[in-house]
Amino acid sequence: MSATDVNQALLRDLKANGADFFVSVPCKLLGGFISTLEQDNEITYRAVNREEEGLGICTGAWLAGRKPVIVMQNTGVGTLITSLCSLGLYYRLPFLMVISHRGSPGEPIGAQVPMGTAVETLLQTINIPTYMFSDPSDTKKVGQLVPFTDVAEGPVAAILDYDFWGAR
Amino acid sequence: MRRYELLKSITPLLTDEEFVICNLGFPSQELYSLRDSDNHFYMLGSMGLSSSIGLGLSMEIDNTVIAIDGDGSVLMNLGTLSTIALEDCKNFILFIVDNGSYGSTGDQPTHTAKGTSLAAIAKAAGIDSSVEVAGADAADKLAQCMKTPGPHVIVAKVEPGSQAMNPIPLTSLAIRDRFREAVKAAQAKT
Ligand SMILES: [Mg+2]
Repeated sequence: MSATDVNQALLRDLKANGADFFVSVPCKLLGGFISTLEQDNEITYRAVNREEEGLGICTGAWLAGRKPVIVMQNTGVGTLITSLCSLGLYYRLPFLMVISHRGSPGEPIGAQVPMGTAVETLLQTINIPTYMFSDPSDTKKVGQLVPFTDVAEGPVAAILDYDFWGAR
Repeated sequence: MRRYELLKSITPLLTDEEFVICNLGFPSQELYSLRDSDNHFYMLGSMGLSSSIGLGLSMEIDNTVIAIDGDGSVLMNLGTLSTIALEDCKNFILFIVDNGSYGSTGDQPTHTAKGTSLAAIAKAAGIDSSVEVAGADAADKLAQCMKTPGPHVIVAKVEPGSQAMNPIPLTSLAIRDRFREAVKAAQAKT
């Protein structure tokens, strides 16, 4: 499965499960997926400056009946923690975060490793249901997390690593 | 004029046709005491995100959306001004109560007290209709903006200080659900 196929399957499975509003902050691993989002006319997609801003925009869209997904790099989790608590968890906002996992095996840049190592623990510390995916054939399972946000009644995180895109 | 008197001057403009996102505890308590509505979303944490929530909402509905924000809060999320400009939502008004202080934490001065102009920053971000007005003139300006296509940024200059209030007697989920229902009803009408 090529990275392009993975990205198309990922968007197809997210959409099939109800996701219709996407925001992103870029990541090298997400470059192809972001292009896929940009080319899809059936969804709303916007680039944002920062993850908290994206969470806010998604909150407004969800209040108007949309089903948002935040597409971001794991490093953004660090700045997002406070808003995830005081907005996402306090108001129990059912959004999926699709998070690329820099700083995990396959990573060439040492500066990415500390946050890559901390991200799962950080999300678990604030009780965000967090699931790791390493297999390109798992796009369907990631998609199924969209309705799971309603079951969980709050934000849910899917962390996708280098192997998910066959990138090492 | 402080924020409380400013909010008192604008609440007569609000009907159940507008949707309001209100920033943080003290301003929300003041607004709640002056005028409560299902159309008010009291954002009690996540300082800085009132503007972004208002933007996301205004992308999805035809009704006027007014995000009431603070100077310290906008300074924490300046990037969203550029997103507001790019999105160009005609129904969006960012109403910034600029009292030059962090009102929720003891009125420590913000950088707007020392010369930073949020209206100039908003204009440079690409929001052409960005103005700074004296608090006493803000209601007239808001009334005008509610009748003309936006996005608009109104920076209302007031004195620091909060009115002593009780907490809003609503749970976060009650605030969320009644607001979402009100939006749904408005969407059904259009
Ligand atoms: Mg202030």
